[in-house]
Amino acid sequence: MDLNFNAPHSMGTTIVGVTYNGGVVLGADSRTSTGVYVANRASDKITQLTDNVYVCRSGSAADSQIVSDYVRYFLHQHTIQLGQPATVKVAANLIRLLSYSNKNMLETGLIVGGWDKYVGGKIYSVPLGGTILEQPFAIGGSGSAYLYGFFDQAWKEGMTKDEAEKLVVKAVSLAIARDGASGGVVRTVIIDSEGVTRNFYPGETHPLWHEELEPTTSLLDILSAPEPMNT
Amino acid sequence: MSKSAIELPPKGGFSFDLCRRNAMLSTKGGVHPPSYRKTGTTIVGLVFKDGVILGADTRATEGPIVCDKNCEKIHYMAPNIYCCGAGTAADTEAVTDMVSSQLQLHRYATGRESRVVTALTLLKSHLFSYQGYVSAALVLGGVDITGPHLHTIYPHGSTDTLPFATMGSGSLAAMAIFESKYKEGLTREEGIQLVAEAICSGIFNDLGSGSNVDVCVITKGHKEYLRNYQLPNPRTYVSSRGYSFAKGQTEVLTTKIVPLKEKEEAAEVGDAMEE
Amino acid sequence: MSNIGTGYDLSVTTFSPDGRVFQIEYAAKAVDNSGTVIGIKCKDGIVMGVEKLITSKMMLPGSNRRIHSVHRHSGMAVAGLAADGRQIVARAKSEATSYEKTYGEPIPIKELAERVASYVHLCTLYWWLRPFGCGVILGGYDRDGPQLYMVEPSGVSYRYFGAAIGKGRQAAKTEIEKLKLSEMTCREGVIEVAKIIYGVHDEAKDKAFELELSWVCDESNRLHQKVPEDLLEQAKTAAKAALEEMDAD
Repeated sequence: MDLNFNAPHSMGTTIVGVTYNGGVVLGADSRTSTGVYVANRASDKITQLTDNVYVCRSGSAADSQIVSDYVRYFLHQHTIQLGQPATVKVAANLIRLLSYSNKNMLETGLIVGGWDKYVGGKIYSVPLGGTILEQPFAIGGSGSAYLYGFFDQAWKEGMTKDEAEKLVVKAVSLAIARDGASGGVVRTVIIDSEGVTRNFYPGETHPLWHEELEPTTSLLDILSAPEPMNT
Repeated sequence: MSKSAIELPPKGGFSFDLCRRNAMLSTKGGVHPPSYRKTGTTIVGLVFKDGVILGADTRATEGPIVCDKNCEKIHYMAPNIYCCGAGTAADTEAVTDMVSSQLQLHRYATGRESRVVTALTLLKSHLFSYQGYVSAALVLGGVDITGPHLHTIYPHGSTDTLPFATMGSGSLAAMAIFESKYKEGLTREEGIQLVAEAICSGIFNDLGSGSNVDVCVITKGHKEYLRNYQLPNPRTYVSSRGYSFAKGQTEVLTTKIVPLKEKEEAAEVGDAMEE
Repeated sequence: MSNIGTGYDLSVTTFSPDGRVFQIEYAAKAVDNSGTVIGIKCKDGIVMGVEKLITSKMMLPGSNRRIHSVHRHSGMAVAGLAADGRQIVARAKSEATSYEKTYGEPIPIKELAERVASYVHLCTLYWWLRPFGCGVILGGYDRDGPQLYMVEPSGVSYRYFGAAIGKGRQAAKTEIEKLKLSEMTCREGVIEVAKIIYGVHDEAKDKAFELELSWVCDESNRLHQKVPEDLLEQAKTAAKAALEEMDAD
């Protein structure tokens, strides 16, 4: 087994963003890997930028963190200068600016989602080259390959908040089931005029897909079992 | 698109030209750079009821050779923050020293206790700017005004926030222990016990790790550096009589003195020169 | 002017003993002597009007414009030295484009006014610079609705419902105050602005003038544009008629 700990830390990832009537739902798995080792099985890839804008990160962990750190800082400045919250579009454009001007250095794709009083809920995806795409729903990361057809079929205009979140959780759990680089738990962030709600769906709550088995000897069972070696 | 018409000089920032050259030489030219002293390492940290506990083994290696059997891998960052380092010893040492000075100056300027996030941000921005060439993988732990914090920092500048963390070549062995035995709200004794067990798991199962266990316990307003908390690898072959030798034990057979250089002497002629 | 000769009026970097900077006040004088410029905020947008004094009969109508577009949704009307005004407009344009480049959205009018004001103010702080000999009225339409600002040579800027600078500002302000701005559309506002400009024009001192009108309103799709030719003619006719009516009284 070649365990290269110097390999850049990357997020083989599933990230999604979905708009519904009134807001957006962002979703992500929680696996961060170094080569074949899971460096963090409960990471949070949905990062806050402002009160009303969040971003889903994929690709190199270091790059996506630095980009979101910078954008958070720029948005903070912008909010103070304007005296009112930044819009989702501004956040997306700042990400685009950094991604594009440093495209030779960066290896990260991001999905920005949020709510502002002018245009409501919006999803923008900023993929690798530094382009910007405003979309009703966006998917990203290695797991997204398994989701394009699913979203073409399952996404509907004007969903309710619950429908949208169910869709997101289902999508991420489907990708976790098929994509080796995605795994762990499902995290969601819902943003609308009311504010922000964060939800967490542990592995054992995910629906079972084709050929999957009920988790009988899960980590949780081992933890509660008597210690094998009581020294 | 062809090459740009004019080669513009770089506008600033770091030049990674030599890194690329070295990579090319080692693949094509068979010229390998000298190896560094690395801490093939097991380092761990966990959050317990009242704070954080950091742990490390004490082996330093240079290729296959153990070059230090009892080195210190838990570095001081601030009175309330410590940092375990894995990777190239020079880099972990340098980067932690540098950030710890920055924290010291920041404390002088603000008159406040350092925060763990401050250390985290300083470390990650340094490592990010060197694009992974500063080979330091760190476990950063401390207790500040906002409570106990534990982070891992990778050479490329990515960071994680975790309740328990392991790093270095022995991280898999140590993580196996944490994954099966860690729970929330451990007591101090349970925490130290678990950290020591995780380090021992690295010491015994990972070739890069070995020797002793260092532990550092940080709680609110207090810390305890338990250097060589456990010594699971005592010297096996120690003469029962000890190794003291009385004077004159080695017989002198012959003595020959070879002067290295002809002795020259300047004889004083007449009065000393005067001005 | 009693302060001349006291030595405190030659530099923008020297205060007079009673705390004034005379150069800035002189700059304001340059504005006060120019043709009248007014701007009003109606319920659906902004109308700006300029009494552009014609210095030569041979000058082409429509040249030496005093109303400029800054970006799609805002414009500036200049009173005072027209050349200085162009410098401010150029800066405003570059601020607007740079904002849009970084943030992907048109610059809010408030932000634009603040940036223009700090640029104007900057020129009152260094001995090697001369304050701008012009005041500008900045009108624009953003997501928070239509807004009107005025920036003075000192670098202060305020938001207005109606603003007037130049020779006839006092009379113009009195006239603007009489209008029911919150109930008026821009189409109606254009007529009123024309009437005011014609009304404050001093036939005796200044011979000819050209009326320049622009608007940013719902009717112009929130774009800053010249008032359409037919409406301009209609406004001129109405203004002339109003003048004659006044003279008849």
